[in-house]
Amino acid sequence: MSRFASLVLAALVGFAVPAAAEELSLFAWSEYIPQSVLDGFTKETGIEINYETYASNEEMLAKLVSGAASYDLIQPSEYTVEALVKANRLVKLDHAKLPNLKNIGKEYWGQPHDPKLEYSIPYMQGTVGIVINTEKVKEPVTGYNDFFQPKYKGRLVILDDALEIVTWALSSIGLDANSVTKENLEKVRPVIAKWLPLVKVYDSDSPKTALLNGDVDLGMVWSGEAAILIQEAPKKFRYVLPKEGAHMFIDNLAIPKGAENVPAAHKFMDYIMRPTVSVEISKEFPYTNPNVEARKLLTPAERANEASYPPGNPKLETFRDIGPIAADVDKLITDLKAKSGA
Amino acid sequence: MPQATGVTTGTTGQGKPPGRAGWLLLTPLIVWAVAFVVAPALIMLVYSFASRGALGDVVYDFTLENYKGVGDPVYLQIVIKSALYAALTTVICLLAGYPVAYLIGRADERWRNLLLMAVMVPFWTSFLIRTYAWLTILKSEGLLNSLLIQLRLIAEPLEMLYTPGAVVLGLVYTFLPFMILPIYTSVEKLEGALIEAALDLGAGPLRAFSRVIVPLTSPGIAAGVLLVFVPALGIYAVNDILGGGRVDMIGNIIENQFKSARNWPFGAALGTTLLMSFAAIYFYVNRRQRAAIVK
Repeated sequence: MSRFASLVLAALVGFAVPAAAEELSLFAWSEYIPQSVLDGFTKETGIEINYETYASNEEMLAKLVSGAASYDLIQPSEYTVEALVKANRLVKLDHAKLPNLKNIGKEYWGQPHDPKLEYSIPYMQGTVGIVINTEKVKEPVTGYNDFFQPKYKGRLVILDDALEIVTWALSSIGLDANSVTKENLEKVRPVIAKWLPLVKVYDSDSPKTALLNGDVDLGMVWSGEAAILIQEAPKKFRYVLPKEGAHMFIDNLAIPKGAENVPAAHKFMDYIMRPTVSVEISKEFPYTNPNVEARKLLTPAERANEASYPPGNPKLETFRDIGPIAADVDKLITDLKAKSGA
Repeated sequence: MPQATGVTTGTTGQGKPPGRAGWLLLTPLIVWAVAFVVAPALIMLVYSFASRGALGDVVYDFTLENYKGVGDPVYLQIVIKSALYAALTTVICLLAGYPVAYLIGRADERWRNLLLMAVMVPFWTSFLIRTYAWLTILKSEGLLNSLLIQLRLIAEPLEMLYTPGAVVLGLVYTFLPFMILPIYTSVEKLEGALIEAALDLGAGPLRAFSRVIVPLTSPGIAAGVLLVFVPALGIYAVNDILGGGRVDMIGNIIENQFKSARNWPFGAALGTTLLMSFAAIYFYVNRRQRAAIVK
């Protein structure tokens, strides 16, 4: 047989017999799972990982709901877990296959989105708080009303996220962050209208960039971004949780209905809850690790990072699924942004 | 002016329909156009009459709500602002691009290819990378500010990045070649004898320019204006990167509907409206173009 013919034959066989290797298709946040963790899983189990990424819960939902592709594992935040559970779109987990679930801290049980962790396991947890460049800002900034002040005009970076901005405004006037109703949107409208003209940059992907480049001095950002800034310049940057109450998010792993390889999805969940694996994730993405055994493996400096592990007992609240009013939230911020100049 | 009409009929290709071989050669283009232009546009059209489900899925019931939303002042103000940004970009590109295109078109052959190359070289790098490069130049501790401070022209860094000016700069930078290239094509075809004739017959340089050169290169100008204005109206990356997300344009609003707001039907209605407006602009410019030639 000529070499060419054997090549063609090999190619045909390759197509006819779908890859002998078992596959797990993972749909997760970009920049959130270290490559070493994925490689380690494949090496140990022989299961190949198909890794696709997204940049927001909403983008993931849109793709999942459209049915364009099927996934074995997704990585939704708590309010998206709640929406998916409501819509009966998640597979119930088999806790017998997740012995490492015992490593998850007790504060992650009893959360409103999935109190018994029946449908999801926590992957990483974080907060949204204030980063201060202490070389430029000398006075204390402790809450939303301190942060959005006329004297800081043109020196602020905030997340480009309509719901986040609305919840800050709700907290700042003493309302519950989750009380997103039509009446309350009207109440926060004048507050946000005053805030937005002060903002220099809106960035959800990498808000640390503007702070590092010196284009802004204060930021309302994800704690993981703040933790990286503090790692790079511990004396220069500080992280403070707003005293009026801060948004806490829990990113989870869950199995959507229609998953083709549910056993492999369980294996992956249990694998990343192993303390030695979980700590690898923390090293690369310094959010708050819900795995208390993994936390013990961190260096003292990593544990002392106030963005990853805020001291004291701050007032924290998770988002709830707000349903169709999301469209009004989006429209309010679109309108105020357009009116804020530029 | 027979030469002028000769040029336009040559480029618009009026004549008999293609023969069998011609159709065969056209097949890839037709397949491409149907798959990537007609089909997506139809899908958008269908979505634009649907409504949003609880999870952001598309629910197929016939409604005009989305189009009502397009006319909402909240979105209208953004459409107007985008049009102003796009128009400003187009004007600057035309003013900066015309002399360049003219010079390249009239330069002798050796230089012409070299100069054309210089216009094209930026395309070898990804558009996003080139836009991010501006970030390094414009930021407050960036190259331009450091240079100006070193030269003692300024004492404090200027605020350049994340301003509307940075957005316009980015847009002009992105679209300038699309203005230069079509004008160049027209200039290259320009008959030198006609300009000489105009000058001989008593027209001053200004008059020769406005009455002879501009009308003869108008197909290139029209093509350049369309190639710059239309994409500049819909772009969203430049204003996100250089405008710090502060300058929302209609492209950002549409992107937002498909991503964070999860309202695909509304996004589709906005997109369809934009597409229709582009088609209207195109036909308008085209008709004026024809009318100008007949005159």
